[in-house]
Amino acid sequence: MSPIIQSLLLVTAQVIVLLTVSPFLVGLIRKVKARFQCRQGASVFQPYADLAKLFRKQPVISTTTSWIFTATPYILFASTLSAGLLVPTFTTQTPLNFAGNIIALVYLLALGTFFLILAGLDAGSAFGGMGSSREAIIASLTEPAMILSIFAIALTAGSTNLSTIVHKTALLEGIATDPSPHLMALAALFIVALAETGRVPVDNPATHLELTMIHEAMVLEYSGRYLALIEWAAGLKLAVFLSLIANVFAPWGIATTLAPTTMGIGLVVYVVKIAGLAVLIGVIECMFAKLRLFRVTDLLGVAFILALLGLLFFYILRS
Amino acid sequence: MQISPHTGSQLVDLCSALLLLTCFAIVAQRRLSACVDLFALQSAFLVLTAALVAFLTGNPHIYIAAGLTGLIKVIIIPRVLKKVIERLNVKRELVMNINVPAGLLICGALVMLAFFITQPIIPLGFLLTRDSLAIALAIVLIGFFTMIARQKAVTQLVGFLVMENGLFLGATAATYGMPLIVELGVFFDVLIAALIAGIYTNRLQDAFDSVDTTHLTVLKE
Repeated sequence: MSPIIQSLLLVTAQVIVLLTVSPFLVGLIRKVKARFQCRQGASVFQPYADLAKLFRKQPVISTTTSWIFTATPYILFASTLSAGLLVPTFTTQTPLNFAGNIIALVYLLALGTFFLILAGLDAGSAFGGMGSSREAIIASLTEPAMILSIFAIALTAGSTNLSTIVHKTALLEGIATDPSPHLMALAALFIVALAETGRVPVDNPATHLELTMIHEAMVLEYSGRYLALIEWAAGLKLAVFLSLIANVFAPWGIATTLAPTTMGIGLVVYVVKIAGLAVLIGVIECMFAKLRLFRVTDLLGVAFILALLGLLFFYILRS
Repeated sequence: MQISPHTGSQLVDLCSALLLLTCFAIVAQRRLSACVDLFALQSAFLVLTAALVAFLTGNPHIYIAAGLTGLIKVIIIPRVLKKVIERLNVKRELVMNINVPAGLLICGALVMLAFFITQPIIPLGFLLTRDSLAIALAIVLIGFFTMIARQKAVTQLVGFLVMENGLFLGATAATYGMPLIVELGVFFDVLIAALIAGIYTNRLQDAFDSVDTTHLTVLKE
């Protein structure tokens, strides 16, 4: 098989895996929360039906909006999906391996966030503006924490390419095996993941009617297929973060070769791992209350310091 | 069971890293009772580290020191502090001399400082615990910083106890623990200090209806 066809197949496979798995993760978290609250809850496949319904609905667009409003869902979806192609999922070979590393990943996600913030302001509603301003605060605080934690991991593996990092960790070759930097980076990245995907200690994804909402406030004006794209992109972002955490810190079981059997095992292990993480997020959402907006900086400060400590430990413990 | 020195050294490093992690949690925590719980957790990690060092080096007297740490710092002192907190009319500390995000950044800088100070010394050592020295110094500095940053007597006391934990870790890391008689003396001192500070906090509450130590800087007629 020629390398071009091979990488095209990989891209297609990863796109399909990410797109199918992301609504499932959202549904799974909702199901876990429902069971914890002694409710039956909707089926875990409900988000697929929601997306299908939204795609069929006619979108309504405010007459005061500009092109940014209609372009944002596509930009957000495309940038999140391309970020997803930089993260190893079921195999260590990432499809866009040649095109970018973890720094590209961080800023592809930031691009989507940036346009979403603009779109929130675009419609001119008070809620949208409030949501955008809060999202900007959180995004500016998570970015340094995320970059530093990723640097801590990159230093231990000696590369900023995610594919190389995961491959080396999975085979335990050429890695400084000291666990402390990894532990700190994991804790930091987990907090960042909760903040970036709008999960409970920072934002409440289950509400449309609260003064404290962030993500929902920005997308309040959207409807129809635009809303579907944004919701799907939010699910994708969750899947990207969970894959990142699962595969960088626990890459066991991932396919390190392109043989069909190892890829099959890798796919099953991957789905189990991220489903496990999604359940964990659901449990956290049930156990903790949402933080007050001005206390979010404390939490993200902790994430930043943890990431910084991860970096420091790499140097302290190297001797 | 035999653990290779390299793995042993990594395990000790991991345990001391967890100790440092709880320090940061204490700096970021506003609820008084949660601060005390975190201190108990930190002491539990300290017990684990000391027991690990005792196991790796085969020095039985470190086991005794670890056991005493467990008894005094994980069980007795947190209980005493919880009793004190129950009597107070504040549950959380809202005003601090330095706010939480700034405090966290300063503590990050303190860790770097500790690292740079110990950097020339560490390669001279030959013990498997030598890397923990930087972390021990960082914990001492953070404990000291907590005493400066907080206004309530209880959290200042927690800062003091954190410093003591750092010193114990440092002694274990640098010399595999002090002679047992010295350790016993230190434990007794810490226990008495915690008890006295507990009584002092209660007196403060009675006299000023608050445990804010800044009241002590002004004269009362």
